[in-house]
Amino acid sequence: MLKFILRRIGASALVLLGASLLMFFLTINSGDPLKDLRESNDPNREQLMAQRSELLRLDDSPWERYWDWLSGVGGCFTGNCDLGVTINGVDVLGLTQQAAVSTLRLITVATVLAIIVGIALGILTAIRQYSGFDYSITFSAFLFFSLPVFWAATLLKEFAAIQYNNWIADGHYAPWTIVIVAVVAGFLLQAVLGGTRKRRMLTAAAVFAFVTVILFVFNALDWWRNPMFGIGGVLVVSAAAGVLVTALVAGLRNRRALYAALTTVVVGVVAYLAFAPLLVNSPSWGLLAGLFVLAVLVSVGIGAAWGGYARKQSMLVTGITGVITSLMVFADLLIAHWASFLGVKSRPISTIGSQTPNFTGGFWEQVLDMATQILLPTILLTLVSVATHSRYTRSSMLETLNQDYVRTARSKGLSEREVIVKHAFRNALIPITTIVAFDFAALIGGAVITEQVFGWKGMGALFQDGLNAVDPAPVMAFFLVTGVAAVLMNLLADIAYAALDPRIRR
Amino acid sequence: MKIRRLSAAVAVAASGALLFSACTSPAGNDDPAEGESTATSAAADGPCKADLGDITTADGEVKVSVEDEFLGYNTNTPETYSTYNSAVTDRIFGGFYYFGADGSICADEDYGTYEAISEDPLQVQYTLNDEAAWSDGTPITYADYLLDWAAQAITEDGKVTDDGSETPLFNHISGLTLGDYVPEGPQADAPDAKSFTYDYERVYADWKIQIGSAFPAHVVAEEAGVSTEELVTAIQDLDMDVLKKAAKFWNEGWLSQPGEVPDPAIAPVSGPYDFKADGWEAGQYITLEANDKYWGTPAATKELTFRFVAADAQIQALANGDLDVIQPNGPTVDTVTQLEQLGDAVTVDTNQNLTWEHLDFNFNSGIFSDSLEAREAFALCVPRQKIVDDLIKPIAPEAVMMNAREVFPFQENYEATVSESYDGRYDEVDLEAAKEKFAAAGLKEGEKVRIGYAAPNPRRAAEVEAIKSSCDQVGFEIVDSAAPDFFDKDLPNGDYEVALFAWAGSGQIASGENIYSSTGQQNYGGYSDKTVDEAWKTLASTTDEAVHAEQTVIIEKQLWDTLFGIPLFAHPGVIASSSSLENVRNTAAQSGVLWNSEQWARAS
Repeated sequence: MLKFILRRIGASALVLLGASLLMFFLTINSGDPLKDLRESNDPNREQLMAQRSELLRLDDSPWERYWDWLSGVGGCFTGNCDLGVTINGVDVLGLTQQAAVSTLRLITVATVLAIIVGIALGILTAIRQYSGFDYSITFSAFLFFSLPVFWAATLLKEFAAIQYNNWIADGHYAPWTIVIVAVVAGFLLQAVLGGTRKRRMLTAAAVFAFVTVILFVFNALDWWRNPMFGIGGVLVVSAAAGVLVTALVAGLRNRRALYAALTTVVVGVVAYLAFAPLLVNSPSWGLLAGLFVLAVLVSVGIGAAWGGYARKQSMLVTGITGVITSLMVFADLLIAHWASFLGVKSRPISTIGSQTPNFTGGFWEQVLDMATQILLPTILLTLVSVATHSRYTRSSMLETLNQDYVRTARSKGLSEREVIVKHAFRNALIPITTIVAFDFAALIGGAVITEQVFGWKGMGALFQDGLNAVDPAPVMAFFLVTGVAAVLMNLLADIAYAALDPRIRR
Repeated sequence: MKIRRLSAAVAVAASGALLFSACTSPAGNDDPAEGESTATSAAADGPCKADLGDITTADGEVKVSVEDEFLGYNTNTPETYSTYNSAVTDRIFGGFYYFGADGSICADEDYGTYEAISEDPLQVQYTLNDEAAWSDGTPITYADYLLDWAAQAITEDGKVTDDGSETPLFNHISGLTLGDYVPEGPQADAPDAKSFTYDYERVYADWKIQIGSAFPAHVVAEEAGVSTEELVTAIQDLDMDVLKKAAKFWNEGWLSQPGEVPDPAIAPVSGPYDFKADGWEAGQYITLEANDKYWGTPAATKELTFRFVAADAQIQALANGDLDVIQPNGPTVDTVTQLEQLGDAVTVDTNQNLTWEHLDFNFNSGIFSDSLEAREAFALCVPRQKIVDDLIKPIAPEAVMMNAREVFPFQENYEATVSESYDGRYDEVDLEAAKEKFAAAGLKEGEKVRIGYAAPNPRRAAEVEAIKSSCDQVGFEIVDSAAPDFFDKDLPNGDYEVALFAWAGSGQIASGENIYSSTGQQNYGGYSDKTVDEAWKTLASTTDEAVHAEQTVIIEKQLWDTLFGIPLFAHPGVIASSSSLENVRNTAAQSGVLWNSEQWARAS
């Protein structure tokens, strides 16, 4: 395995080297860096051209410039990185760090969401192949996949930002809006859950009634402006999640796993009560991260204690439940601060920027500010990636579901859950790993348009500005980051492949 | 800050400048709607900033868009010089003059006054306001302006420049031009004098915009390890030991890594705004706050935030309140339509700005080079009015056909200049007359005329289309020869008959000499005319405005009679602001809508 990894790294390094050479020459030949000066009529035009030629070293041979760039990059291994300066005299290393942080912030949540939602949708559509649900998801997937990003962004800004902000100023649904929302929700859920006609009708009616009542209650409580979730909410939702996770991973017949999951939820809520004063009064990212790690450790511990004959499975169940419970606690804290956030920022969803300039507010308000700023680009990136992920998962899942061993498993009398989760899904995951890894690498460099329309300056802007000015330093820095990311992700995919597919380990 | 004639391509990209139009209703709307007249009170009294009486700084924040990152305190290096950077630094540096809403020169008397005490030889005396001081308390004095001169006069070898062509010691965008005109430098009694005189070696028509703001000499002196007095002496004696250190700091010490607000100790300000501590987030925004040490009229609103946003995201950001003032680059009909749909919450103003589009003939080669009749035939068939009506008026309804080159339709002296220099003979297409001239020039049916411009440019493509549909009837065969590298290749090589591009007007009086005189650096077509050459010489060598006006008429008339080229229109511009803001005012100058930003106030 080690030998395999080393060989991969060596090959990748060579590929990167060749690609960087190509990139460098393409960039410096992509235009005329003195273009604007050539058209200028400044009396000191010649001086300015000489000055810029010296800055960009236009008179030196390209090989020499490339070699100097390469040795600057080589310095990164000895601790003195030098990626050069831009045409504006700004240090590229610093710029790259800022851009990379900004891009990572932008895409991390979107990628994780896209993977989870995409794979889930893919599995569901594969199980319900050729159902109404399958067709609608297929239709939406193709729709989103082919959406021009800038256009979708404009629509999102109009409806999810401008119109929403106008609405939240009052925060009440009109009765007919409630009815429409409830009808749509009822229709969607019956399509997903499926069953006989009677069962579908029942599902739709129940959902319709539930949503209508909830929304009217929210209206009455002015919930959208003063929302609350509360300990009770955390408890109920986390418990439901715990049951669901158990059902999926271990099956409800495994009572130990079920009790372990429920114990985790209860412990989580009790811990929340204990830590609430700390979280409200002196919150920080460090504290949150620490508590999260603690929560996961304790959850896994609970799983191990309850585990019995299926300890591993039980630990997985409690681990996931613990993460969900933690997220619920986090959500509860955010929801509790929504009203005060609205007080500071009356139009919560912004169309541009990664943060509100000079935002004043406590820690939780700042978290909310970052969340509302990142919301629209995240939705957009997620929609686009979900399309690919769900399609790949669906076809890969369908392929495995039609294999002989799945039929064998079914004929053995295994439950449908076991057939799908244990036998089909695991094998379906193997090709998806590659796609997901590549997608992540592509997103780092590929969010150019999203960045531009939402006013984020990330890797995309670095690349674009550099190329427009025929300025190799930022373009090469962009290449370095995206290239290394692509190679690393590829490597990770290969390792994950090996972990998932025992045949490869040989 | 001196505004220079930008290159054509840059001008198109950065046409951040809009028309002075005191009583303009928004595009396509004949009835001035309510809430759309905010600019009128500020615009009513001439092109310069309105006197708004006593102003106290109100708490609050105004958010305005600029399209690129802030680069640094020293905006005068070739690396940092840009309209985007100046948008910020113009707020933090006071200066002797600024450009008014129609591009005319206005004096800032809060900062100081200046006058020519002798016209020939030209001597200009500057007097700083007695209260004028940097935000760290040090008075603004002669020393600052001596350093400003040194940065534009001293060569690498430690001499004052001879003809401006040597390698300069300081990395200044203007090179050694000032030293070339004023080799002695400003003269004063003492380093801390408030009054000083520039003796010009030869008369310079644009003396009014030669000296503007300055950088703090006391900071440079301290960084060079000397006192301000010693720095002054060092400049006067050309002491290179000190000057090299000073230049090193001047060139590098004021550069910033994005996000790092310049240290107030080395970056004191002299304008109504100052940097806000921690107010710069890389790639996102930079916030300025009112300079509480400012002696003049204070800023109306405490905080001014520049958000770095691309043009296509600006309109929705304005609608959502993420921005309060926008000036989208290269506005189209869509821009105006979208802005109008926002209703009363937003005030829209359109205008024409100082960038103007024109067709220039190639005098070096081709059918137009030595045949006035051929040029006349072409001029008679170009549908100028149609081009303006179809392409420009939908954006800026007040747009008109432009009949001059050195004055703009929205400027005071336009009517006077045009009425004396041009009789309107090319105002309307006259195909019959064009055919006569075509025959008289001895041209044959199907004569190819390549119209070159920098691609891609949809508007210019539409212009060429309009010209083609008209001129092909005369016998020309118009060829759209757009190329991405038009300025690099086709224009210098002369591979065109007619060039279509735009100049950005500079506010300078004599800069046209470069374009129209026989030896001009930007006379791409190789035009040569004795009358024009002489008129430019006369114009450039006097400071007398009456002579300027008189010579401009001679030049314009001769350029029309010999048909140097055909002016088409001034580029349209659009600004939009939240209707809750007062005193946002459009301008034709390149400084853009921000030019009077210290007057912007939230309606109470």
